[in-house]
Amino acid sequence: MNGRLIEAAETLNNEFVRQWKEDGGRVVGYTCSYAPDEVFHAAGILPYRIRGYGAQETTIGDTYFGPFICSLPKCMLQLAGGGAFDFLDGVVIVPGCDSMRRLDDCWRKAGEDMAGVVPPFFFHFAVPHKFADYTVNWFEGEIRRLIEAVERHFDVRITVEALRVAIAAYNRGRVLLEELERMRRLPEPPIAGAEALSVVIAGSAMPRDAYNDLLEECILDLRAKTRCLQGRRRLMLVGSASDDTALVRFLEGDRALVVADNLCFGARFHNDRVDDGVLDPVRALAERYLRRSDCPRMYGDYRRRLEILTDAIQSASVEGVILQNIRFCDLHGAENGLFERDLEARGIPCMRIEREYGPLVETGRLKMRLDAFLERIDGKRRTA
Amino acid sequence: MRRALREYNFDWMLYSTYDAASKLMAGTEKEYAHTLRYIPYFRGMIDAVLSTGEPGLSFVRTCAEYLKNIVTARERGRKVAITSFCFSPVIFYAMDITPVCLEVMSVFLTFTYRRGSAEFLDFCNEAGFTETSCSSQRGSLGAYLAGIGVDIDMVVTDTPGVCDTNANAFAFAAEWLGRPFFQLDMPPLLKGERYDRYHRDDYRALVSFLEAQTGTKLRAERLAAVLGELRKQDGLIAELEEMGRIVPSPLPPAFTLMNYAARFLFAGMKPCTDMLQSMVNAARENAARGASGLAGGAERLRGFFCYIDHYTYNMRMWRMAEDLGVCLQGNILSRNWSIDAPHVRENHMEDSAYSIDMTDLDSMIDSVAIMNSRMPMIKSIRGPFDAPDMWLEDTLSLARMYSADFVVYSGTPGCRNTWGMVKPFARETEKAGFPTHIMYSDAFDDRVQSWEATRARFEEFLRVRRLLV
Repeated sequence: MNGRLIEAAETLNNEFVRQWKEDGGRVVGYTCSYAPDEVFHAAGILPYRIRGYGAQETTIGDTYFGPFICSLPKCMLQLAGGGAFDFLDGVVIVPGCDSMRRLDDCWRKAGEDMAGVVPPFFFHFAVPHKFADYTVNWFEGEIRRLIEAVERHFDVRITVEALRVAIAAYNRGRVLLEELERMRRLPEPPIAGAEALSVVIAGSAMPRDAYNDLLEECILDLRAKTRCLQGRRRLMLVGSASDDTALVRFLEGDRALVVADNLCFGARFHNDRVDDGVLDPVRALAERYLRRSDCPRMYGDYRRRLEILTDAIQSASVEGVILQNIRFCDLHGAENGLFERDLEARGIPCMRIEREYGPLVETGRLKMRLDAFLERIDGKRRTA
Repeated sequence: MRRALREYNFDWMLYSTYDAASKLMAGTEKEYAHTLRYIPYFRGMIDAVLSTGEPGLSFVRTCAEYLKNIVTARERGRKVAITSFCFSPVIFYAMDITPVCLEVMSVFLTFTYRRGSAEFLDFCNEAGFTETSCSSQRGSLGAYLAGIGVDIDMVVTDTPGVCDTNANAFAFAAEWLGRPFFQLDMPPLLKGERYDRYHRDDYRALVSFLEAQTGTKLRAERLAAVLGELRKQDGLIAELEEMGRIVPSPLPPAFTLMNYAARFLFAGMKPCTDMLQSMVNAARENAARGASGLAGGAERLRGFFCYIDHYTYNMRMWRMAEDLGVCLQGNILSRNWSIDAPHVRENHMEDSAYSIDMTDLDSMIDSVAIMNSRMPMIKSIRGPFDAPDMWLEDTLSLARMYSADFVVYSGTPGCRNTWGMVKPFARETEKAGFPTHIMYSDAFDDRVQSWEATRARFEEFLRVRRLLV
């Protein structure tokens, strides 16, 4: 396993970011997987997915957010307020959900109290909630608005050619990630779920070209691996944003393996491509990003998401699905209720949990439920 | 859900209650007083409303008629759509679709029964919906998920981009019930050609959806009739809003509720016009006499609720206002964004408002699209709270215009879109000179915080801020 990828996933200001900044590069953070990385790549800017990873408290977050709000944006604001994202030259807030939408307001207001907390480039990037010809048109306009703002603020030109290069680089990454996914789903996977999540997350925190090279190396290493993971219960992890590899490690323990996931920090957004044959790359980006209605924020597309899950469950021989949501994440929480209904009806054991984002403060409760769930899977194995 | 509750058809239960209530005044005063003894958790509401005279009676009749429409929808061959308070029902009425507004139905419950909507709220959780989501939809949605309400044909909402938990409730309902779903999507800004075009394209897709569901085309003359009525209603609302500026306000506290309820139930329909007209008549009389709309006659304070009201049983929030001599200056729900509205003219917000162009079907659809994008909450909770046209700007302009002494936030714990930034929002309203109170209660569920505690905290706020000494 490549240690540099793990480090990139587990350190916010990792070696790649530090090197990028030392070389005079600019970094722009974004909050949601609906932000098109390719735009920043084409501008010579490092796109960086903002996380709440490592926050130990939410004192700053609680100062601005109300009490009934998801702990992920609170942790993000906590880190921003504590200076963890001082390396960012800009931020793009994507209203993936209401809690994340309000990070825009709260971060700006925190900036009135704490000098330097708000980066000089601060952009609200809207994403429609459905896919139709007119919503793609609108979204294309929004990407063009972003491009213009980036060009103006950073004094750069984002050319069609540079966008094509960026699209090719990210598509290559997606192909490689798909291969990683395939390997995770093997009967004896060469990689555990926690490590796989680290590998995917690293891609959102380092230059794409370097990432693609390391990912390719990683895949070659995994192919050559002779001692693979055997005999564990095969789980799938689904639901709210989860970039905490420790959570996955905890769920896996020494008895289980997360062989597939549907998480926005994980495998959810990599099994498609931006169409590089389309004349206008901005249109192609709009089509690709909006068509990906894998997140429940895209209302009314539950059936398609259920089929995505079902396909993954079958291809990865999943024995149980963990449906988790961060408290106050109603989008995933409610959809998990539907998934539980429909997957259980198809004979797939599900465990639904609500949790807080951040430090693992609920391990006792989770462990007890997880043990019971694994026993249920064992029982199913015995009667199979 | 208790089996006993399942024995009652939900819509019929509410209809029979409000139908009976609408006849209460038909007897003698003694009979009326005697009847109230038998409805201890409803009489406060009935008395608060009926004591306003003809407007109150009209309000109760209107509620009963709305509920009758629901229970008779099937026999009249109407399609039924569940929808949201912030979705103008005019398009449904123009297409002979019976709307069931979930939030309104929840309020019918919480106003009427001491048990409120608790069992229906909880049934949604049993069905898999989250307990942290908004109680305003869950309160009645549980009844439809449990199959004890009218059969639903379609689910239509317009809150994506504005309120996740609202939109999510409708998406969940559609999936659970296996019914077609349509969403109007709202971008984060309100004005400008790009945004107008998006609203109009989206609304045309809605019309296509409704035509497919009903099997009939939207007819220009039907839409024109509804919009003609809507214009009259806009004029009446504008007059009510204008009279609300008078000190003391001639509007009884219950008028804020009746104003928005009328539009949520029957915008573009005659019952709404009649009710608004009777409210205007009553307010004109008070204004001519220089009388306060408060029953006690003395207006001690003027309060602006920047979000929604509190819907505990017996209308105890309105009765508290009467007790304390607080004139309620409305809330986000009671604001109408017609181009003729006084607050629009006063604050030169004409380009944020809507006007109705009845030239042809196209222009009418465009008008309704823009009007719908100016519905309560849809207009001002979509973008950053301090952006132009959004919540802070609206709140401050209205609080100033109505000479409010303080601002109150009341919502539900499910209001992710406002709880996300209500603290910085309140900081701004305080900076602007308005003492601001945040209620931590649930406007639809007394189990979160009892009304007694909510009232105690509110009165404490008035005392501590030396507003009511």
